[in-house]
Amino acid sequence: MSLLKVEGLSKSFKGLKVLNSVSLEVQPQERHVIIGPNGAGKTTLFNCISGVLPIDEGRIEIKGKEVVHLPSHSRVHDGLSRTFQKNNLFNNLTVEENVYLAIMACKPYRYKWFKSITRYHDLLEEAEELLKRWDLWNRRNKLVNELSYGEQRLLEILLALASKPEILLLDEPTSGMSPAETALTTQLIQDLPRSVSLLMIEHDMEVVFAIADRITVLHHGQVFLTGKPEEIKGNVEVKEIYFGGGALAGVNR
Amino acid sequence: MNRWIWPVVIIGIIVLLPLVLTTYGMQLATEIFIMSIFVLSLGFIIGYVGLVSLGHAAFFGIGAYTVALLANVTTNTYVLILAAIILAGILAFLTGWLFVRTSGAYFLMITLAFNQVVYTVFFKWKDVTGGADGMTVRAQLDLGFGPVQSQLALYYIMAFSMLLCYFLLRRYIAAPLGKATLGVKENEDRMKALGYPIRSYKLIAYTVAGAMAGFAGSLYAFFNRFVSPEVASWFFSGEALVMSIIGGVGTLFGPPIGAGLFVILQNYISTFTARWPMVMGAIFIVFVLYSRGGIAHLLKRLWNRLFTKEEKLAEPAKVAEESKTEGGQA
Amino acid sequence: MSIFLVQILTGLAYGMLLFMIAAGLSIIFGLLNVINLAHGALFLIGGYVTLSLVNNYLNFWLSLLVAIVVMALLSVIIERFLLDKMYGQEFEQVLLTFGLMFFLADVAKWIWGTSPQSIPVPDYLASSFSVGVVSFPVYRVFVVLVGCLVAVVMWYLETKTRIGAVIRAGVDDREMLGALGINFKVAFTGVFAFGAALAGLAGGLGGPILGLYTGMEGDILILSLVVVVIGGLGTWKGSFVGAILVGMADTFGQMWFPSFSMAIIFIIMGLVLLIKPSGLFGKGVGA
Repeated sequence: MSLLKVEGLSKSFKGLKVLNSVSLEVQPQERHVIIGPNGAGKTTLFNCISGVLPIDEGRIEIKGKEVVHLPSHSRVHDGLSRTFQKNNLFNNLTVEENVYLAIMACKPYRYKWFKSITRYHDLLEEAEELLKRWDLWNRRNKLVNELSYGEQRLLEILLALASKPEILLLDEPTSGMSPAETALTTQLIQDLPRSVSLLMIEHDMEVVFAIADRITVLHHGQVFLTGKPEEIKGNVEVKEIYFGGGALAGVNR
Repeated sequence: MNRWIWPVVIIGIIVLLPLVLTTYGMQLATEIFIMSIFVLSLGFIIGYVGLVSLGHAAFFGIGAYTVALLANVTTNTYVLILAAIILAGILAFLTGWLFVRTSGAYFLMITLAFNQVVYTVFFKWKDVTGGADGMTVRAQLDLGFGPVQSQLALYYIMAFSMLLCYFLLRRYIAAPLGKATLGVKENEDRMKALGYPIRSYKLIAYTVAGAMAGFAGSLYAFFNRFVSPEVASWFFSGEALVMSIIGGVGTLFGPPIGAGLFVILQNYISTFTARWPMVMGAIFIVFVLYSRGGIAHLLKRLWNRLFTKEEKLAEPAKVAEESKTEGGQA
Repeated sequence: MSIFLVQILTGLAYGMLLFMIAAGLSIIFGLLNVINLAHGALFLIGGYVTLSLVNNYLNFWLSLLVAIVVMALLSVIIERFLLDKMYGQEFEQVLLTFGLMFFLADVAKWIWGTSPQSIPVPDYLASSFSVGVVSFPVYRVFVVLVGCLVAVVMWYLETKTRIGAVIRAGVDDREMLGALGINFKVAFTGVFAFGAALAGLAGGLGGPILGLYTGMEGDILILSLVVVVIGGLGTWKGSFVGAILVGMADTFGQMWFPSFSMAIIFIIMGLVLLIKPSGLFGKGVGA
């Protein structure tokens, strides 16, 4: 059974069809990357899957369970988690507090009052582990505002991981990063345990091919092609519509 | 810095203050404690949830009138106060369920309108509430050791109540519930994406604040032995808003300071001019223009400048930001 | 039946007054993102200024005109010297208008005292006319006509003029204004003054019907906020419909359930919120 299954998903804004009967699946362990030119509807697709936007038509299943009618916060508890294309963090809180909030979301004590948050040891330990793995441990007492852009970008992914998702939606995780930061982030994503399946939007072709098991090309709100990286690389039409021949050539070398 | 110093100092001052206060001063201090509870509850939802209410006196009024009306049935202090808290809490829950769907300007307007409805009920329902004339509270504060007659006892009871409320809110904001609530204030979208039902957190906080305002109202009924619709007027809500902003939202010690300063100034200025609302408006405007974060922020800055070198970074920036609740935008 | 018809006229006239106030509130919010809580106080002062001038033997129309101009000028001062200092911080701006409400209302109390007063109107407006057995007060018909005229003017300004286009662009997307090379600060001041002028007009026109009294600023503010919540923020059309609804509900509520007319209005508001949280004509919640 596929972990995430999207079937015939359509979404319009003011009469403009942004997504037109999109279908795709993410299998357990799979790392699936969505590519496509700007305006192809990639982020809208993410917003629909995560429940930020209501959909017009179609089905979304997580582990065989229909979730279309569920609000976005419930989908997290079914194992879905996401990052945002533009950093969407708690800017006035410290890095540590950000991580606490993210971990706590799926803890049974998230409604508890009286006992201070710092007295929940499992929370502190999980936070420490995550912060260390994502290279932010030294920055834990800084406000998010004081972090560099690249660090904020890492925190963005870290927060989404804190709920221990089975499917993680990554929306252009490396956008705006320097080459060094991109390399680091790519490595960190590659190092993620296979128990987390990925559905990722990415523009940087090096990152795409470093990570993807399968690639879906989205064009004008429709799935143009889904296939293994080699198939996509070799496909002439994909080059035409998306890369104009240039970007892929560089990777093919 | 030992974490026990401040609580001990504050409690010490409150305990010893009656030694130097006149009868009038005691009266004022007792009133300030009650106001502090009320303003604390409002400052809490403004500063930690981002819900700027202009109708909080509705719950204060409900608490006060619950005691006044139920006193015809029973005079048991515990029953009366508990009834006031529960009733105000239930009303806050029911209205909040509808209100927290909105935010910013809408929330402000709706709470104000709700406040006016509650006021009108007390004002117009003459047979029961006595209308504009108000009504005397028949019950006397009695904790089980006979009616509380002495001013000193009243002072300590109200002081204890305020400290209790402060302490409870303190626990609230330090615990998972409160941290998540602050998260909702800071970034709703992210909280949703993390898996939090954000409305629940707003509703819980709003209900708690309503119940606490009801508690303050019930204490006021016992303190004043008389209630009139004014305790539920939107003007009173507005005054509470002024108190919390002057004191400083985003902290818990700001609102009591605001309440204290407000009540003292009001009494002082009223002795030589009837233009108190004008003065209050002007003071308030000056605070909004020149001191975001209120007195609490000023004190924190002063403290940091005098005694700490390192910790300067985090705190002031935070307070300044926290005063920036979602107001008209969002 | 005849009472019923007269009540409809009363409700309409009341609604039109509320419309003039609420429309100002609404368009100010639409452009500046600020709820002007001092709006009720501006209404009251507009009424008092009219009253003082009429009492000093100035023509009713001229008095009204002066009141409108005075309110516009006062609001320009407020916008330029207070709100502008907090540009971009809408919450602080709302708080400023809130402090101003206390301040202005108390100034009004200081100058004009606390006893309720009413503005006398010219004789030809004070009379009534009869249709069959029913006699209608001319002044209320006049107020309804002025209200409709204001609506027509707003419709014209919005759809047919450049200013209207600019403001519409600003309501939809504030960054657009800058991109169009329009000095939006002038637009802000202009809209704020226009809203205040409407409040002044409503005060002068409403004085003869509603009277002028201490504390009125709050009553008026609350009712117009309810109108705006029902109609939706940022749209004068919403205010028009909402105001008629509230005017009628209040008038008939007073007649049938004198103690709970406010509750009826509130229930209407609650229902609208449940069904359409952004108001009947509003675009998005709280934005």
